[in-house]
Amino acid sequence: MQFIVADGGPYLHVTVQESRIDAAIATGFKDKLRSIVVTAKKPVLLDMRGVDFMDSSGLGAMIAVRKALPENLPIVLDGVTPNVERVFRLTRMDRVFRINAIAIEGND
Amino acid sequence: MIPHDRQKAGLGGRPSLQMQKMFHRVMQADPMAVRQALIDIRARFGDDVSHDTIGRLELVLAEVMNNITEHTAPSRTDGLRRSASMIHLSIVRDSTGLACAVSDDGQSLPEDCLRPRTLPEAAHPDMPEGGYGWFLIQDLTQALCYYREGSRNFLAFNIPFAA
Repeated sequence: MQFIVADGGPYLHVTVQESRIDAAIATGFKDKLRSIVVTAKKPVLLDMRGVDFMDSSGLGAMIAVRKALPENLPIVLDGVTPNVERVFRLTRMDRVFRINAIAIEGND
Repeated sequence: MIPHDRQKAGLGGRPSLQMQKMFHRVMQADPMAVRQALIDIRARFGDDVSHDTIGRLELVLAEVMNNITEHTAPSRTDGLRRSASMIHLSIVRDSTGLACAVSDDGQSLPEDCLRPRTLPEAAHPDMPEGGYGWFLIQDLTQALCYYREGSRNFLAFNIPFAA
């Protein structure tokens, strides 16, 4: 499980290095990311540009990480791809995270 | 009927029939096998359908096959050592969308899964970490149907081109 962590500014910057947050890695992803975010005691900017797929087990991992931080420390999801944004939107978890989406590409 | 005639049956003698892309895979109910199948499906259909459609297909198939994988553990009460369930997956592109059929030899699907689902109303910090899979499947599919025959589950649905 690979993350790049930079703790310089007001946000803890974490870059996800996995292209798929799915059932194959959800548990390890959750445990590692949670251990990263709880130590900083500051809001988190999670760079998800490299993630092109997330299923509901990946969403569950993200929710568990969100719950590990108090409500006044937001997790901002930056560079969310359309495929991943869909899961947050349909499950209304876009109310729990702040989501900076990448522009959605054309439909059929 | 000679093979040549048979091939033309029902086509009014037209020499060619428009071939629709399809995908078929038999795999163990295992998260890495599911992941690889999804990557291969994207490669197969990615040039023909929109990013939006392939994204909805990928998500639904992930949820369906993850559920099979999670519920395929051998029952301890039967006293028999069983190997992992085998998933059979077929996808055919038709004029309205992608028709999918999934079968497996795991436990039967609880009826609750097919009942209309609503999302839990939850705010921080009480958000449930699971229970979204069947909501997504129901939300993104059309003509979702299930039956069990012998020891196999059969699930069929359509992913429409326009959401």
